[in-house]
Amino acid sequence: MDFTIRAATFEDCKDISRMILELAEFEKVSDHVKITQRDLEQDGFSKNPFFHGIIAEVPEHLKSREGHTKIGYSLYFYMYNTWKGRAVYMVDLYVMAEFRGKGIGKALMTKVSQLGLAAGCTQLNFTVLDWNKSSLDFYLKQGCWDVTSELGYHCMRCEGEALQHLAQGEL
Amino acid sequence: MRFTISAAKPEDCKDIERMIMELAVYENMPDQVKISHKELERDGFGPNPFYHCLVAEVPEEHKSKDGNTTVGYVIFFYTYSTWKGRTVYMEDLYVMPEFRGNGIGKALLGAVAKEAKDQLCSRLQFSVLDWNKPSLDFYMAKGAEDLTAKEGWHFLRFHGMALDNLAQEAP
Repeated sequence: MDFTIRAATFEDCKDISRMILELAEFEKVSDHVKITQRDLEQDGFSKNPFFHGIIAEVPEHLKSREGHTKIGYSLYFYMYNTWKGRAVYMVDLYVMAEFRGKGIGKALMTKVSQLGLAAGCTQLNFTVLDWNKSSLDFYLKQGCWDVTSELGYHCMRCEGEALQHLAQGEL
Repeated sequence: MRFTISAAKPEDCKDIERMIMELAVYENMPDQVKISHKELERDGFGPNPFYHCLVAEVPEEHKSKDGNTTVGYVIFFYTYSTWKGRTVYMEDLYVMPEFRGNGIGKALLGAVAKEAKDQLCSRLQFSVLDWNKPSLDFYMAKGAEDLTAKEGWHFLRFHGMALDNLAQEAP
């Protein structure tokens, strides 16, 4: 299939927001999505962006059933590993269901790794839910490894009241 | 015990390098540390740093057995959740063993949480090794959730040849 991968622009935020919701529905947590198109515009396209994005597009004659030509995306940001230095973290990788199986997901991921290497990164990191077997298989087949299973690192989070208390030095 | 928490300066990178190694020894992975104070200086200071760092210092009269007055650090950076927006990721939190039990770790954690709130971040995320019971207990007591145990999130990583191979396939 004919498709292109390019850097996301401010104008893409509407489609990215749409696809974020589609991905959340797949992960069975669409009520968890609190950010909007406006948040993406402010946080991704300012002087110190919180993330970067790439978009997969198909030509007009291959558009989706609902008329979309922007049919996949990946959002990523730069991070730091105190043992290995610069790294890139891939937040989301998504291709609309009707466009899967055509190498678009892989093209998005390889583009993020190419951009990461160009920025001096030595790792591409991301998270996957343990029940998401199709994604786990896809990634493990490409040569990544499961840091949680192999080394025992657990993802931890503080939010809401717990974060508030920490910030106020109350605990 | 009196101590101060302040933003790290480039001159602190030698002490941060020393403490990164101490933390890696504690995590039983000292041979994994590949970066030095040079990379820390290059990557942490400038218009678009890869990380931020706060250090804990004690006055000269409380210096460590080895003569150090920089006795703890926390390294963090800003990240993004496509569901909740801006977040902070805490990469390392460390206090030298002889200075523990004086509230320094709690103060460093509180300072990062405050930065998170000031920057309108809704989450503070980090990882802990599953066998590290003292740290797990410390964080869970402050309201942290273990997302690996609770929701099944796993960290995955590409590095070395697998990352190079992936990047070479980019469109």
